[in-house]
Amino acid sequence: MAGAIIENMSTKKLCIVGAILLIFQIIAFLVGGLIAPSPTTALPYVAIKCIDVQRTHQKVKWFMPWGPNQCEKIRDFDEALSRQIEANAIVFAVHIPLPTKEMSPWFQFMLYILHLDVAFKMNNHIKENAEITLDVSLAYRDDMYSEWKEMAHAIETRKLKCAFPYPKTIENEGRYYNCDVLPFMEIGTVAHKYYLVNIRIPVIEKKGINVGIGEIKDIRLVGIHQNGGFTKVWFAMKTFLTPSIFIIMVWYWRRITMMTRAPVLLEKVIFALGISMTFINIPVEWFSIGFDWTWMLLFADIRQGVFYAMLLSFWIIFCGEHIMDQNNRNRLSGYWKQVGPIAVGSFCLFVFDMCERGVQLKNPFYSIWTTDVGTELAMAFIIVAGICLCLYFLFLCFMVFQVFRNISGKQSSLPAMSKARRLHYEGLIFRFKFLMLISLACAAMTVIFFIVSQVTEGHWKWGDFTVEVNSAFFTGTYGMWNLYVFTLMFLYAPSHKNYGEDQSNGDLGVSGGEELQLTTTITHVDGPTEVYKLSRKNAQE
Amino acid sequence: MPCFGYFLFLCGMNQVLSSYPIWWSLAIGHQYSSLGTQPILCGSIPGLVPKQLRFCRNYVEIMPSVAEGVKIGIQECQHQFRGRRWNCTTVNDSLAIFGPVLDKATRESAFVHAIASAGVAFAVTRSCAEGSATICGCDTRHKGPPGEGWKWGGCSEDVEFGSMVSREFADARENRPDARSAMNRHNNEAGRTSIIDHMHLKCKCHGLSGSCEVKTCWWSQPDFRVIGDYLKDKYDSASEIVVEKHRESRGWVETLRPKYNFFKAPTERDLVYYENSPNFCEPNPETGSFGTRDRICNVTSHGIDGCDLLCCGRGHNTRTEKRKEKCHCIFHWCCYVSCQECIRVYDVHTCK
Repeated sequence: MAGAIIENMSTKKLCIVGAILLIFQIIAFLVGGLIAPSPTTALPYVAIKCIDVQRTHQKVKWFMPWGPNQCEKIRDFDEALSRQIEANAIVFAVHIPLPTKEMSPWFQFMLYILHLDVAFKMNNHIKENAEITLDVSLAYRDDMYSEWKEMAHAIETRKLKCAFPYPKTIENEGRYYNCDVLPFMEIGTVAHKYYLVNIRIPVIEKKGINVGIGEIKDIRLVGIHQNGGFTKVWFAMKTFLTPSIFIIMVWYWRRITMMTRAPVLLEKVIFALGISMTFINIPVEWFSIGFDWTWMLLFADIRQGVFYAMLLSFWIIFCGEHIMDQNNRNRLSGYWKQVGPIAVGSFCLFVFDMCERGVQLKNPFYSIWTTDVGTELAMAFIIVAGICLCLYFLFLCFMVFQVFRNISGKQSSLPAMSKARRLHYEGLIFRFKFLMLISLACAAMTVIFFIVSQVTEGHWKWGDFTVEVNSAFFTGTYGMWNLYVFTLMFLYAPSHKNYGEDQSNGDLGVSGGEELQLTTTITHVDGPTEVYKLSRKNAQE
Repeated sequence: MPCFGYFLFLCGMNQVLSSYPIWWSLAIGHQYSSLGTQPILCGSIPGLVPKQLRFCRNYVEIMPSVAEGVKIGIQECQHQFRGRRWNCTTVNDSLAIFGPVLDKATRESAFVHAIASAGVAFAVTRSCAEGSATICGCDTRHKGPPGEGWKWGGCSEDVEFGSMVSREFADARENRPDARSAMNRHNNEAGRTSIIDHMHLKCKCHGLSGSCEVKTCWWSQPDFRVIGDYLKDKYDSASEIVVEKHRESRGWVETLRPKYNFFKAPTERDLVYYENSPNFCEPNPETGSFGTRDRICNVTSHGIDGCDLLCCGRGHNTRTEKRKEKCHCIFHWCCYVSCQECIRVYDVHTCK
């Protein structure tokens, strides 16, 4: 019985495995870049100004901007002024989507952003710290002729953050303020075909509601949703990756259980990483096509968070187990200092996410950023999470530094060691360096592609040929981390076969017969092996 | 170039009728407003050439936006030229809504054409976002299974559609091989380009916990005033060109060439003209100048709206006027103003 598969593999075989993985990696990029459309679409809407005429006795509940039964409209507010229509009787109506289109569950989520066009007037400024109060309601229906059904109704306030870039003189009257876009609503599923948003901006002078908000000319909404094509490609990818990771995970665990000793911490962590990867991979999103599960967005966040936390923990434990000092870790509690910040950070982000997307399950118009307390709370969570991340990286860097220091110390004394010890250390060093290399490569690739996809305009064009950079980034990095976990489980699984004889040309082949455990700093139920004793003795010297 | 002058004079007469964009009177008639209950009758719009008529019949639902576009173009023109000798006056009793000013290939013509075509592109884009038109630009550009365009890959930007409508409709009549047509085409295009150039990109991050892992961007239309300012700059720096005639198989063709070789050649974003403007000081029915008599001028200004320049040195009259004005107003964001009435005394200066 010898160490991990990676040590017993010949360079040639390793190269072949590397090449195959590279091919899969390239395929992952190409699938996103060539087949999928861009991940999301943003569609601008301009609200139609309807007037709530109470001429008939039956109260109109929903105002349609166009189509049959459309509302009575006004073009601008000068017209309203001359007709003596009050602010409270004006309803801004937006139908989602535009005419002749319909929404689809493949869009996965809808995110709406509010954009106000506020004109400057000498005697009607936007006051300092102005807040706008919106009476919003959302309705849906699944065919063009049925009644609208209410989905949500809320009274929301949003802070107006507007600046006027020109001198505030009479010549510049009528120019628009530069206003920050405001979060409007977020829905985790798109289960219906048509949606209708009605917004009122009621004025209550006594309470100071909607006073001093300037002269609003228009309300614009921007709707963001995931593209159906991207969803399909993404689902296909998940459906393909789930069994691949699952199979290798089962295979890996079988190998571990087949050993005589109990699994060590590092092996358990790798297995946990596999589980969290599978957790992300399992395409439960298929259900969102048939069911109205608004919590899907939140669930996706949680799954992603679990994986990130697991990956970060794995790195720290991997470094810790390769530090090659006399400390006997092999327990999670030995890493509380390093894993603690990850736990705290992820918990903070989880709470933040629950406060934002969790509450949005109840009220889609809610946003934590709209109130002062909420903003401070959200910032606090994010800052704590940021500090934890920094702390974590400091620990990680320190550990990597320790490992390298020990490696250089060991390397100088390697030739003087006995064969068993030398092999043990060579194995450790090789395993560590290999993982270090691929982890760094994956992280660097992720960062590079992230930057590229942020900087470039979204797609590259060569004549008729377009490459969707953003989609390629998502499918590519997703594929990459799957391959990373796959490789990890495959190459770091304990090797059963004795490759020593038939593969003596392999540069890391160990001669058979010797009872060597080359997994981690070895501790197993049978007590320390000879190698462990040797290394311990060495450390004590 | 006596030959050239003669040619222009000859053509000038029938050119006036055929080239004047009479369809701009859409902007004046209330029956063309998008809020009108009756659908627009294409046949009732004056001055459409057959191609425009066809376009109108096919896409009657966007005609209100076209009318609206010309209207906001004219409003913006009047705002930009409010203190100048020519102040973009429209004539109510004529189909040629600017009077004969546009008959000559002047800077003013260049500006009006540019702002009107920009206005059409702007208003059509806006009406697409309002959902008032069903034929706006989705579906065409994106790959994916046919018939699933929007669901597969979303929509294309509507500003391209707006520009396309403006190009199809406003340029439809500018297809003659003469210089004026070429100039109008150029200036119309400059107006549309100004819209596309001033679209600004806005982005929203919405990844994990609101991080920028996923970022979506969209183009947002500017305030039309920004377009007006920009085109006004282009008016001030408009390039003078000269007309060249070539004999081609289809007859005489006129092309445009920069007049001064030592200046930079006009780009597609610049306005071009080849006739000098009248000075607009005295009324002249032939040039379409209304003169500046009785225009209110600003006595403290040394600019073009100052009494010296605006009155062309004729001097000005001053009278005092008592005006009832609204003051100490409380505004609501919409439609309600409560004010007191104050009486203020003004000195009003008007040109002699």
